[in-house]
Amino acid sequence: MADEKTCSTGRILDVVDLHKSFGTLEVIKGVSFGLDHKERLVLMGPSGSGKSTLVRCLNWIEPPTSGRIVFDGQEVQAGACDIRKLREDIGMVFQQFNVFPHLTALQNVALGPIVVKKLPRADAEAEARELLAKVGLAHRADHKPGQMSGGEQQRVAIARALAMHPKLMLFDEPTSSIDVELIREVLDVMVKLADEGMTMIVVTHEMGFAKEVADRVIFMDRGLIIETGTPAEVFEHPQQERTQNFLSKVHLA
Amino acid sequence: MAIDFRLIWEKLPFLLGGAWTTFSLTCVSMVFATVAGLIVGLLNMFGGRVLGTITRVYIEAVRGTPALLLILIVYYALPRFGLNFPQFPAAAVSLAVCYAAYIAEVFRSAVESIPMGQTEAAYSLGMSRLQSLRYIILPQTFRRVLPPLANEFAALIKDTSLVAFISMEDLLFRSKMVSAATYDYFSPLVGAALIYLVMTLPIMQWSRSLEKKVD
Ligand SMILES: Nc1ncnc2c1ncn2[C@@H]1O[C@H](COP(=O)(O)OP(=O)(O)OP(=O)(O)O)[C@@H](O)[C@H]1O
Ligand SMILES: [Mg+2]
Repeated sequence: MADEKTCSTGRILDVVDLHKSFGTLEVIKGVSFGLDHKERLVLMGPSGSGKSTLVRCLNWIEPPTSGRIVFDGQEVQAGACDIRKLREDIGMVFQQFNVFPHLTALQNVALGPIVVKKLPRADAEAEARELLAKVGLAHRADHKPGQMSGGEQQRVAIARALAMHPKLMLFDEPTSSIDVELIREVLDVMVKLADEGMTMIVVTHEMGFAKEVADRVIFMDRGLIIETGTPAEVFEHPQQERTQNFLSKVHLA
Repeated sequence: MAIDFRLIWEKLPFLLGGAWTTFSLTCVSMVFATVAGLIVGLLNMFGGRVLGTITRVYIEAVRGTPALLLILIVYYALPRFGLNFPQFPAAAVSLAVCYAAYIAEVFRSAVESIPMGQTEAAYSLGMSRLQSLRYIILPQTFRRVLPPLANEFAALIKDTSLVAFISMEDLLFRSKMVSAATYDYFSPLVGAALIYLVMTLPIMQWSRSLEKKVD
């Protein structure tokens, strides 16, 4: 038992032979990988290769068709394991922000702890203020998303996810819908998180961010992992032709 | 054929009495229809298979038949089964049953107009379905639902004129009573039309201004 425990402190996530189909269309065709505590994984690949689907399977927003997911020492199964508990422990940041437009920034961040963790409102809001300060939005606490830029909305979304104290953060192209000049402010927040030791999986085509932050890069194509390694390995010496093709296009862009 | 405004003016109190019946019937029916419509709409969307089917059958049945039919059934047919309604409750019940179906559809399309990402964000925080409805979806729905609800209200004002078929003295019925008594088959109807417009136009205007605000 003691052995298992020391083992599981290193590992946060194991994905084994994951498949996902939409009807007859198989989108994830058997993906396996693991993730250690504090590890930063960047996921890349061409459009339609299944990056979003894979990430969404991890917190069961898309239920996988088959395969195993072991999170924090617990095998995740629909019904058997409590999916909601899993989602409390996994933060998610979406390409389209998906902030709640009827709530202020502060309420956006405080709502999860109040509703899900049953935290007293005052405590939740106090912490929400700290989190907003951390993402550089202390002055925007009482504004609604409609009055904010994309970069600000995405930072609210990050604070909202952090408020649940997740053990793992998922980012699905967090900067793809943001004006170029505002991308940096979002990436800076993510770098700060990484520096603090947050475990994260990030789908992104931001090469600079990947090189700076990622411990490992996974390259996906057509529902399969076709290459994996450190940023230096994958970016400087890609083994697969499809990786090379993709990287040359991203470099040009 | 000239419009006899003096006649309209003379009979105005009588017509306004009918308008009061029209208006109070509309309000009572609307309150019940809105509450029932919200419940039916939610059951239809989130009530599971059986309740979903039952509510769908109800909605389609009501939408596919004239409102007048329901009024006649409630007022003339139900008493044979021992269910006796006086005029006003009979009319209110029938109109509420009708409009609950329409309003259920109003709620459904409002909920469906909210992006899936909102629900997904709520789920990703660990919220249950009920919590995501309560805190994320419904509050956003209520804003979007006001303009179409106001339109339903205006439509209901007009549809209450169907109660003339069960001899309720609403605005339309009273204007016909005036016609019958004075042999003027035009002016009282014009009077009624003007009073209907006074009730419906401001509501439709309000609905339009709300719509602009939502966008
Ligand atoms: N809900 C769905 N129903 C049916 N097909 C879907 C659904 N979601 C995704 N797909 C399909 O699955 C495939 C993979 O999509 P996915 O969004 O995971 O790719 P991606 O790698 O994230 O692409 P992008 O870079 O464009 O975001 C695509 O062919 C897409 O059309
Ligand atoms: Mg994607």
